[in-house]
Amino acid sequence: MALFLPFLPSERIIRAHGQPEAPFALTEKQRGAVIIAAADRQAVALGLGVGMKLADARARVPELLAFEHDPLADAALLDRLASACERYTPMVAVAPPYALILDITGATHFFAPDAADPDSGKSGEVAAARDAEDMLDNVGYSAYWALAGTADAALALARHGLQEGAEGQLPVSALDMDSKTHQALERAGLYHIGDLAERPRAGLAARFGTELVLRLDRLLGIEDRPINPIRSIGNIVTEQRFAEPLTHIDAALHVLEELFVAASKQLEDRGQGARMIRMILFRCDGDVARLGIETGAATRDAALFKRLLRERIDTLNDELNPGFGYDLIRLSIVAAEPLAVKQLRLEGGQDNQGDAIALVSQLSTRLGRDNVQKFQPTDSHIPEQGLLALPALDAPAPLPWKIPPSGNPPMRPLHMFDPPQRVQVLAEVPDGPPYRFTWRRKVHQVIRYEGPERIASEWWQRKDGQQHGKGGLTRDYYRVEDAKGRRYWLFRHGLYGEEKANPNWYVHGLFA
Amino acid sequence: MPSHFTFGVKRIDAALRGNAAEQGLPRAALHELHAADKGDKASTAAMALLLAQRCRALDSDNKPILWISESGEARRQGRLYPPGLAEMGLDPSHIIHVDAPDSIAVLRAAADGVRCAAMGAVIAELSGKKPKGLDLTATRRLSLSAQQSGVVTWLLRNGSDKEDPLPTSAFSRWEICAAPSIPLEANAPGQSAFDITLLRHRSGLYGLNARLEWNCDHHEFREQDIAKTPPNFGAVSPLPAVRTNHQGARAA
Repeated sequence: MALFLPFLPSERIIRAHGQPEAPFALTEKQRGAVIIAAADRQAVALGLGVGMKLADARARVPELLAFEHDPLADAALLDRLASACERYTPMVAVAPPYALILDITGATHFFAPDAADPDSGKSGEVAAARDAEDMLDNVGYSAYWALAGTADAALALARHGLQEGAEGQLPVSALDMDSKTHQALERAGLYHIGDLAERPRAGLAARFGTELVLRLDRLLGIEDRPINPIRSIGNIVTEQRFAEPLTHIDAALHVLEELFVAASKQLEDRGQGARMIRMILFRCDGDVARLGIETGAATRDAALFKRLLRERIDTLNDELNPGFGYDLIRLSIVAAEPLAVKQLRLEGGQDNQGDAIALVSQLSTRLGRDNVQKFQPTDSHIPEQGLLALPALDAPAPLPWKIPPSGNPPMRPLHMFDPPQRVQVLAEVPDGPPYRFTWRRKVHQVIRYEGPERIASEWWQRKDGQQHGKGGLTRDYYRVEDAKGRRYWLFRHGLYGEEKANPNWYVHGLFA
Repeated sequence: MPSHFTFGVKRIDAALRGNAAEQGLPRAALHELHAADKGDKASTAAMALLLAQRCRALDSDNKPILWISESGEARRQGRLYPPGLAEMGLDPSHIIHVDAPDSIAVLRAAADGVRCAAMGAVIAELSGKKPKGLDLTATRRLSLSAQQSGVVTWLLRNGSDKEDPLPTSAFSRWEICAAPSIPLEANAPGQSAFDITLLRHRSGLYGLNARLEWNCDHHEFREQDIAKTPPNFGAVSPLPAVRTNHQGARAA
């Protein structure tokens, strides 16, 4: 099924600002001229069209209003409408600029044909299409719809306001080739797709290229092209529809919990647990709320899901607003992992690891997955690159850390500043140790020091290396202790005279 | 599973015993560590981590340490640097590092962590004189949860008001201060050293203080005799290899 929204930009303006008194157009600048990019229904009825200069249009319709054309807002709106259309099928694709493609094969059993209205069509598909048209109409967007065996055919039919079976009446411009080809076809006396369909393909391919034949086959439903849905389909999808919309959040959450229990039964049959859960709440006015939950380990635990769901709701930036109520709630398991049935010990032991992972999942849901981290060593001698802080949710198995030779105090600080903090240092030139330094307006007298430990930048990133000038300067690190017994990690940034005329000093870390 | 953990220093452990049956401090409780000064933040963090490590070592199962700090504070005052932890003898793989947006979120995450018996230790770091949300109720909640789950909990306070530390229900309160180390050869800074002072204890102990040195290889504290530590003031600064004319500057 294809839905074509010819007046999407102008109806967006009407929805935002109300209906203007006069016909209006949306304009953009092209090569110094102000050109109409989209026009509203009245303006089109008056004979104004896309591509016309605003000045010409004003000459014909003096009261014409003009608004700025905003293709990004239109695209965002189309995405939102696509989300709303996910209630019909999970396979929804956008076809810019103003169309949507829905693969509703086998997804229309909820739309029984209306027996009372003989014109309502014979199949569930037509009923679904009419429902979609009504839904869009309710929120102020007019749409043409068409059903066809393939996405391209449906799209072309919807664009030209035709119905299934009328492919032959489409003009050749429906092929969406360049204008030269269209002209050439018309000059040859081929005005409609029906004219082309009768011709032998070999001759057409020889004259106009194989591209044209391919597009023709797609329009005629001989060849199909897979559509690219806006979101991938989950492994397991459970949903609940309501005749009467749910207006209470708590009721909706309860439904989600029930859906999860249903989904986890399916997971159990497969020996799997959920890692990523996506929930979609469809409001009856077309608005869609999405929630996502990620867990640290595969789970089928409904109590944990309930806890995570509450966390998720609490941390939403804009609260869930049921408005006129939710009429469809869907829960899909997007990622699942093998999970065997676990048995606790008879005396009632505790599942320590499971509890720890549940806590990590909970904190990650509340604070964001990047704010709960585990550390992993990396192989780099640059101090600040010696570690990876990975989200604890998907941290790999721990790697061993480099243990220094025994008998030494720690050579690396416990706390590190990122970025390093500038200090004023009194030190001997060219490469003497620091004697005294001023950090945060306090003077520290250096009593003991060790160094320098020279850490050069990576040679392949140095000036004469392969990637020019990205490596930074050589650093001379000193471990120093001040009169109060505090230990600091200072460095001189750059070799005196060679790399820098007057190197700066920084404090990079604090030792315990 | 032992119910108490110790510093591993006889004098302190015996003193902490008081009237209780066991030496050291109870595990199922909230303890507070105050940094003596803003500059002692790293020492305070190290002390908490080392004691947490000593607690973990009492059990055979490998439980993680939950470290919670304020993200804004971490940007200003520095973050934990795992290679440094590894050098102190702590395995950074066992640490779950949590960045919370503010002090209330820190306390909330800590409360959740303490309730989870699968944690080896929970360390929450707060800074400022009066962190928002930190009051008797919040600490009481942490204490009670710790009693139930048996998870040792540390509350680190950085920049707290010495005259008026907020009333909390912690079992013990310590002040941690960096101490001069025993120098190695060529006057290099030695092993980490701490001055610890007991400020408050449930059973009324007060004024216990010691200077401890952490041995990274044997993973234990040793008490230093304060009198024997070479005084820092007036220490001779090392002679430079190259003579210059800046004698005046160096003497200063």
